Amino acid sequence: MWLRALFRRAEVERDLDDELRFHIACETEKLIRQGVSPDEAEWRARRAFGGVERIKDDARDARGTAWIDAILYDVRHTLRGVRRRPGFAAAVILTLGLGLGANIAMFGIVDRLLFRPPAYLHDPARIHRVYIRERLGGTEYTEKGMPYTQYRDLARWSSAFDVTAAFGADLLAVGTGEATRRMQVGIVSASYFDLFDARPVIGRFFTAREDSVGAAAPVVVLTSAFWRAQYGGRPNALGQVLEVGSLPCTIIGVAPPGFAGIDDDLSTSVFIPANTYGASMHYVQNATDYYTKYNWSWTGMLARRRAGVTAAAATADLSRAFRLSYEAERAMIPSLPTADVAKPSALAAPIQLERGPLAGADSRVALWTSGVALMVLLIACANVANLFLVRGLQRQREHALRLALGVSRGRLLRHIVTELGLLAGVATAAGVAIALIGGRVLHALFLPNSSDVSALGDQRTLIFAGLAALLTAALTALAPAFESGRAQVAAMIKDGARDSTRRGSRLRAALLSVQAALSVVLLVGAGLFVRSLSNVRAIRLGYDVDPILYVGTNWRGGKLTRPQEIALTHRLADEARTIPGVTRVAFGMNPPLVAWVANDLFTNDHDSVPQSGRFAMKTASPEYFRTMGTRILRGRSFTDADREGAPGVVLVSAPMAEQLWPGRDAIGQCLRIGADTTPCTVVVGITENVKEVSLTADSGGQYYLPTAQYAPEYATLFVRVDGEASRLVETVRQRLQRLMPGASFVTVNPLRDVVDPQVRSWQLGATMFVAFGALALLLAAVGLYSVIAFGVAQRTRELGVRVALGARIRDVLYLILSDGMRFTVMGLGLGAAIAVGVGHWIQPLLYDEQPADPWVLGAVTDVLALAAVAASILPALRASRVDPNIALRAD
Amino acid sequence: VNLPQGTLDLLILKALSLGPLHGWAISERIHDVSRATLEIPQGSLYPALHRLERRKWIAATWGASDNNRRAKYYELTRAGRKQLGEEVDAWAKLTAAVGLVLDMT
Repeated sequence: MWLRALFRRAEVERDLDDELRFHIACETEKLIRQGVSPDEAEWRARRAFGGVERIKDDARDARGTAWIDAILYDVRHTLRGVRRRPGFAAAVILTLGLGLGANIAMFGIVDRLLFRPPAYLHDPARIHRVYIRERLGGTEYTEKGMPYTQYRDLARWSSAFDVTAAFGADLLAVGTGEATRRMQVGIVSASYFDLFDARPVIGRFFTAREDSVGAAAPVVVLTSAFWRAQYGGRPNALGQVLEVGSLPCTIIGVAPPGFAGIDDDLSTSVFIPANTYGASMHYVQNATDYYTKYNWSWTGMLARRRAGVTAAAATADLSRAFRLSYEAERAMIPSLPTADVAKPSALAAPIQLERGPLAGADSRVALWTSGVALMVLLIACANVANLFLVRGLQRQREHALRLALGVSRGRLLRHIVTELGLLAGVATAAGVAIALIGGRVLHALFLPNSSDVSALGDQRTLIFAGLAALLTAALTALAPAFESGRAQVAAMIKDGARDSTRRGSRLRAALLSVQAALSVVLLVGAGLFVRSLSNVRAIRLGYDVDPILYVGTNWRGGKLTRPQEIALTHRLADEARTIPGVTRVAFGMNPPLVAWVANDLFTNDHDSVPQSGRFAMKTASPEYFRTMGTRILRGRSFTDADREGAPGVVLVSAPMAEQLWPGRDAIGQCLRIGADTTPCTVVVGITENVKEVSLTADSGGQYYLPTAQYAPEYATLFVRVDGEASRLVETVRQRLQRLMPGASFVTVNPLRDVVDPQVRSWQLGATMFVAFGALALLLAAVGLYSVIAFGVAQRTRELGVRVALGARIRDVLYLILSDGMRFTVMGLGLGAAIAVGVGHWIQPLLYDEQPADPWVLGAVTDVLALAAVAASILPALRASRVDPNIALRAD
Repeated sequence: VNLPQGTLDLLILKALSLGPLHGWAISERIHDVSRATLEIPQGSLYPALHRLERRKWIAATWGASDNNRRAKYYELTRAGRKQLGEEVDAWAKLTAAVGLVLDMT
């Protein structure tokens, strides 16, 4: 019967009609038999029966199918309402849509950064990323990269794992001729693929033989994306030769679509065996160095725990193995501190980089931003609840009438819930659309190097969207439901809903204040991040950024002799000087922040300088310091006289000089580099310190050797231009490329590209907080506006009386504006208290900034007050134009 | 006389225990048998009928009335007859108990 009722509603309704009509007919006939006139009889029968519709309603209720009718009715009613007042529906949908969209998009990011394991990874809970830790020179270093030798030690000497894999990455030239691009190349052991459930699309992955130590094969596995882009997805790519770095490799397989391995920054294009890379890339003198020495750190380590081994046991096992490895390293380099001092240890951490000990500020900013997005959603909920409350007041009389006519309170409540449900449904769709658009922007901000750009790629995000929508609808329905439960029928009909504005105004005021408070919290956050960003931007780096390009040379095909290389770099420099817009050209070693090199140091006072490892070794040509904008504090720069064969000279940075020769003049001192038997290099100048490792951490110091005297073949060309360097990148590349022999090529990058990632977390924080803060403020202002405007409409009569009694425009304006300011002041107090209270949690993400910055609090107060005035000025002006004649006659 | 709470169901079930009736006839029978003492509030009759139908205590069929019109006839189901027995017992106990109290001297 229930089903029948559901599917054959019309029929059931007709039955009910028939049944009731029949009853009345019987009653009428009975009365006629008793001698009552037909008309009179029917009237009396009907009257005795009571309200037909009411009985039908109750009968439907009794059948338990009433809710279907109710929902259909409410849906129709809602749609009618939308047609009548599209503005209301639009406001609700837009408000909730923005709130939901922000959250859905942020969920995608946070999920990606912290929770979702890499695609195809088998049993991610058992797979760890291995970190090593040691104390050198009083500082504890935690690193994810290690020498391949160390990886082999750990793999051999640990027993807690059934699979261990080496994985690294390098930017290498891939391809030949015009198609050559610098790409991220995955450098992985053959065992790496055992960690995944991936099967090659065609061909195969590496065999253990192809990745054997000292006898590795030049083979390459392509990613699907690379295969499609470069080979059109054709199977005949197998067996072809692809040049990776300067090594021709045979293509043996293609990984399945979406397989990216574990790429921490750039997305990988191809994979080559770890041993192939180690033996062929000539960063070290000897092809066996990579697995015998400990001085080239490039590989990460993955390890899968055996069943039954806990993560803690795995960590202990790795630490033991690493201690053995450290001893082996110390046997080779006796100057290393003993294991008791260095305290070598290792850590089996989750696979996601952002959940390990080296988690960057980005993921924390992402988490904070999610919190912020949640606050925006709360504001949106409060706003919509308020809209419903306000509209509820306008409909008070309608509701009171319906209550009086016998519509139950539950029914009225159900109506509100249905309406909200419908609107929330549409808002969710809008939210998903907003997340799709906004997600791309967020993706670009938080995961700039990831190839996976689908904002809603997986069902996790969609499930989240559904849950968020449900929660939002429930939360929003709370206040209106509470209010409708308190409706006083008699009072409302009597008052004509005219003077009952105060009723429920406390709830509305609370919602408004909460909105304002949340906006304050977000705006304070925005202020703190903006200040941090400008503080970071104001840091003296020790070099200029915007006017500088650096040029890398990539040798391929037929190695040049050392004199040829040096001659070519000089030709490149001469060519660069002729390019219009270029002001200076110099040689150096690596750009700052990219990579740095250290060497053992000896002075006459120290047999071995204990903190040698913390001083960065750099080279510089005479023009270098003026090109980079690095100041020479005392002494001189290099000159052309400091050539190969001339007496060795060195410039040291001020903090290094202070550490090596405290209280003495560093100029003229002797520094021995590499061994205590090398000839003196004499300090001829003191430079300012530069930010070498990161923008906010000070490295121990730097020293510069003349390029002409030290490894001139490794020189990097630095080009200073007038104004923004980025506009000259292509010009410089084309001009210099012409000089490159054979397949060799140059890469030209603005120094800005190196510095920006360092500023990213603050930039992200500032961008996101400002964007969400502005959104929150807008929502709160709209909320305030609608409530004030409604208040004015409700108080028209009262205002009319006031005007009639001689109130001036100023008084009316003041009356309405002060109403708006009341909420604002309450929200401001509450919000400032919260902001100061939670401030210490955000402190680590700030730079040189206190959470309770009075400048920020002051600015936020001004902005909020301004927004409040803006929101209430329109209704206030309308109120001031109230014509007492019309107002008093209204209603 | 106002019907005490909860007795309407009992009366309907009892009225139907003698054979199928349509809604109007149920109210008439109760009215007549009670010698015009009990007046079934029309507003509650049909909701009550539909409620009982939903509980499967009565079943409805459409048939022709004596005056040859389409009418909905209700009859007791097996469950309804059992329910009637229980409610009659409960009512008897209640009235006996109330009677004892009222007979106090």
